[in-house]
Amino acid sequence: MARLATLGPALLLAVALVTPADVLAQTKDDTIVYALQSDMQNWDPPNSVLRESIIMGYNVFDHLAARDLKTGKVGPSLALSWKSIDDSTWEVKLRSGVKFHDGAPFGAKDVKASFERVLNPENKLTARGNHAKIKSVEVVDDLTVRFKTDGPYPVFVERLTALVMQSEKVMKEKGHEWMQENPVGTGPYKLVKWNKKQEHLLVRNDDYWGPKPAFKYVRVRIIPEQATQIAELVSGGVDIIKAVPPDQMDVINKSGQARTTVSPILRTAMIQLDQAGRSGANPFQDKRVRQAANLAVDMDGIIKHVLNGLGDRTATTVNPMAFGFDPSIKPFKQDLAQAKKLLADAGFPNGLEVGFLRTQPTVEPGLVQTSDAITADLAKAGIRAKGRMVGEVGPFTNLIRDNKADPMFEFSWGYYSIFDADAIFFDVMTCNQPYSYYCNKALDDLVIQGRSTLDSKKRMELYAKAQKLVYDDAAYIFKWGLRGVWGVSNRIDYEAPRDEVDRMWAVTPRKK
Amino acid sequence: MSVPTPVELTEITTARPEAGAARGAAWRRLLRLRWGMAAAGVLLLIIAASVFAPFIAPHDPLAVDIRHRLSPPAWMDRGTPDHWLGTDPVGRDLLSRMIYGGRVSLVVGVTSVLLSASIGVLLGLGAGYFRGNTDWLIMTGINVMLTFPFVLLALAVIAVLGPSLVNMIIVLGVAGWPIYARVVRAETLALGERDFVVAGRALGMSHLRLIFRQIAPNLLSVIVVIATLQVAQVIVLESFLSFLGLGVQPPTPAWGNMLGEGRLYMLNSWWIATFPGLAIFVTTLAINLMGNALRDWLDPHLKL
Amino acid sequence: MRRYLARQVVQLVVVILGISLLAFGILHVLGDPVLLLLPQNAGKEEFERYRHLLGLDRPLYVQYWKFVSRAVLGDFGKSWYADTPAFKLVLERMPPTIYLTLCGLVVALLIALPLGTLAALRRHSWVDNLCTAVAVAGQAAPIFWLGIMMIIVFSVRLRLLPASGYDGWQNFLMPSFCLGAALAPITMRLVRSGVIEVMNMEFIKTARAKGLAESRVVTKHAFRNACIPVITVLGLQFGQLLGGAIITETVFAWPGVATLTVESIRNQDFPVVQCAVVLLALLIVAVNLIVDVIVGFIDPRIRAS
Repeated sequence: MARLATLGPALLLAVALVTPADVLAQTKDDTIVYALQSDMQNWDPPNSVLRESIIMGYNVFDHLAARDLKTGKVGPSLALSWKSIDDSTWEVKLRSGVKFHDGAPFGAKDVKASFERVLNPENKLTARGNHAKIKSVEVVDDLTVRFKTDGPYPVFVERLTALVMQSEKVMKEKGHEWMQENPVGTGPYKLVKWNKKQEHLLVRNDDYWGPKPAFKYVRVRIIPEQATQIAELVSGGVDIIKAVPPDQMDVINKSGQARTTVSPILRTAMIQLDQAGRSGANPFQDKRVRQAANLAVDMDGIIKHVLNGLGDRTATTVNPMAFGFDPSIKPFKQDLAQAKKLLADAGFPNGLEVGFLRTQPTVEPGLVQTSDAITADLAKAGIRAKGRMVGEVGPFTNLIRDNKADPMFEFSWGYYSIFDADAIFFDVMTCNQPYSYYCNKALDDLVIQGRSTLDSKKRMELYAKAQKLVYDDAAYIFKWGLRGVWGVSNRIDYEAPRDEVDRMWAVTPRKK
Repeated sequence: MSVPTPVELTEITTARPEAGAARGAAWRRLLRLRWGMAAAGVLLLIIAASVFAPFIAPHDPLAVDIRHRLSPPAWMDRGTPDHWLGTDPVGRDLLSRMIYGGRVSLVVGVTSVLLSASIGVLLGLGAGYFRGNTDWLIMTGINVMLTFPFVLLALAVIAVLGPSLVNMIIVLGVAGWPIYARVVRAETLALGERDFVVAGRALGMSHLRLIFRQIAPNLLSVIVVIATLQVAQVIVLESFLSFLGLGVQPPTPAWGNMLGEGRLYMLNSWWIATFPGLAIFVTTLAINLMGNALRDWLDPHLKL
Repeated sequence: MRRYLARQVVQLVVVILGISLLAFGILHVLGDPVLLLLPQNAGKEEFERYRHLLGLDRPLYVQYWKFVSRAVLGDFGKSWYADTPAFKLVLERMPPTIYLTLCGLVVALLIALPLGTLAALRRHSWVDNLCTAVAVAGQAAPIFWLGIMMIIVFSVRLRLLPASGYDGWQNFLMPSFCLGAALAPITMRLVRSGVIEVMNMEFIKTARAKGLAESRVVTKHAFRNACIPVITVLGLQFGQLLGGAIITETVFAWPGVATLTVESIRNQDFPVVQCAVVLLALLIVAVNLIVDVIVGFIDPRIRAS
């Protein structure tokens, strides 16, 4: 009895001494604390589809090009300049004097190795499809690289912001497995420690070639419950949280400890309908049923009441900020009578039952409520959607990939932060993509043409046609472009990034 | 293991208490009985509300109405008498959902306890009556199952079967039998020595008749008390599982999943989680009080 | 004494066997183990190979043998989500759970020992009634509700304690208190019963007759002997404690086995769930054994036999 009583405090002491975070003595003033809802599966960005990997990748690695958040334009990063030599050749000049975290110099060989690694089908890296248009990468000299593309590749420059540059030396000497847990990049922060599913600790790279980060340490805490994230933010335990639901904004803003910052982001939400029949025969293979679904829902009302106006209605899946967006197409307006008529025409005078695969709001705030509202509206027209909740992102995406989703499922796309219609049309909606349950040859033709010409005007026309096609065909239930809400502690200065990438090096202490 | 269960040890009244203490004990019993009756009254109200839910619930618990989402209770400003306890994040009436949620709790509580009791009593009777190897086998089973915390067992089975109302009843029902078995076994063992049983055997009565006609009726009070207290335990466990998202699935209202959904809104729309939490507390308290009173009433000297 | 220990060990072995059967039964009999144990992106040949590896084409007892022989070596399969052995994952998360359980125990005792003893000594007085009333009310309050309220009061409103995390001793305060407070009511009643039982025993009367001061009677004689029933019951309480810890962990996002289990259930990561259940059960069994041994040493009745 007595023994147990003394054991308790002894254990407490032991715990206090052995806890992970004090490996290096960080203080509050030199550390930013950033919250993520779920942990990455690895530290190898080309080998993950998760937004968390993309964000963390930006902080530890660099890309050849980077977006300037103020102007929205793509500018130099590891590459200083680029030009197209001919229709299918690009020449890129690299920055000199850049070193990897292990001290090895960065050069053209690393660019070649990074691209080839992704493009090699045997490696089965998830990012392969994004860069498939690149046929080969040649080293011209240590600071010059030549890319050969499969025909004209208009999004070449945009996509330079989407692949991190990894070390050829590391790939050769350490191999794939090691790279999953040990990122060696050229970026502003280095990984110090990774407690899986708990936290990461990053330390400033003092030899960074770019602007020096203001904070020495970044502590990335994995906090799965949004309620806890908000509690931590307003009590000072965390500095930055993302994907704040609109109806919790007042809690943060009234706390006196933190505030919210909002920005439209590329991420676009939609409900996919199984036109291609990947989950089996289903009513959505009939265009009229898909149109009825779109006509049944009062999408504007949902944005207004559930999201408090924080959403930009999209007529299709193309985000207003993306190149190629056609504002002349007007989104579906709720018309229950028409919806019922279409259903009757399609052979469902008494409505129909259909499965609806759903998930938790990890990247799309308010998802549960908006889908509940959509389900209610659909029921008014006779489409009775039976929700099936698969809470975790991993199993949810796997179900979709393996043709095991329901005929309706929630979906959103972050465009890989590439502000171009190609990033959704090609990556998601063309016939052979793993996450697309829509297949239309006519669309494929338009999209291939769109990415095979360097003529901007022609591309705009092609994408306008593509959007009209997708709209008339009611490919999905179209929703909106998200407005990202970030919760930020009052001790720092930070603006919501419109490409959904949290740049830790850009965070500065708030001036008094 | 030779360790008695908490239920058994809670109120040991051994030896002969002195006169003053006897008066004190009687007074305590009366008080407990009074509380027990009040609790029974409250419980009756809750049960009645659940049974007559379709008639007394002001709204359809599943009716989504986003224009009136997150409405506060009627007595606050911005509240309306249309929604006495306010609305949830998609505009469903909280009061109606609470009333229907009670149904889930009561159904799960009563059904799973009936299941546990049936299994447990049968096994306990078998162990105590037949003794020998049967007894050893069942005792081991009891010990093994009592090793697992109720929660852990429930989680493990839900992991395999998947979350749903029926699965929860099965899990909770199957996990709860050891308590009955242990007590029933002890009583049966004791009773087995008694004259009327020995006489019965001598007269050639069949096992079944002896068990069910002679032994079982004596166990009724014990079983009833344990069952009542277990209903409370099960209700809390069900709410916990639903709170985690592993029990009753939304949109079906259950106090546990309402608490879970409301957790995010605790800092501004507090009513969404608070009222279900209160409901769980009040119901559990009422059942516990009633159970304690029952124990006193049925047999105050019960070693329970 | 030796016979007592031997009996305990035999019982232990039997119980462990029972646990293994239960764990095996849950996974292999209730569900399709191949579907549950393999990562979802495995191909058809993988399924067949695994089916053969697990011996699923063989009779149940062969399957059971394979399960046990692997488990004994610590092989519970690989977590499909993290691609590490399930055993390693669960073991890593054990310390926080154990620390939390122990701290919860300490808090429960700090509340229950004095209150329970007091209630027992002032039996049937208003003190006793008050303690009992508080205990009954406390037993009815759901733990997870208590935890949520504590976070709101102490982290958000008062900004005294961290809302989550596992960095230092401050993180232990709320979860331990929550767990301890949840278990205190029943512990208190057990302490009360235990002390009452002891106080009525002959040797107490003898001590009183000898003219010892009441306080000495309580501390020297009663308390020491009351330890026996209290410790015995606490041994069983460990299982309850762990159950309570499971609930507390999920509310405070504690990096322990319980949150891992719940997450794994959501991720359909069954090797981890199975491993966690078995290891936790074994832990409880181990603690029960330790408690029984301690009791065996303390209790003169057992020592003498």
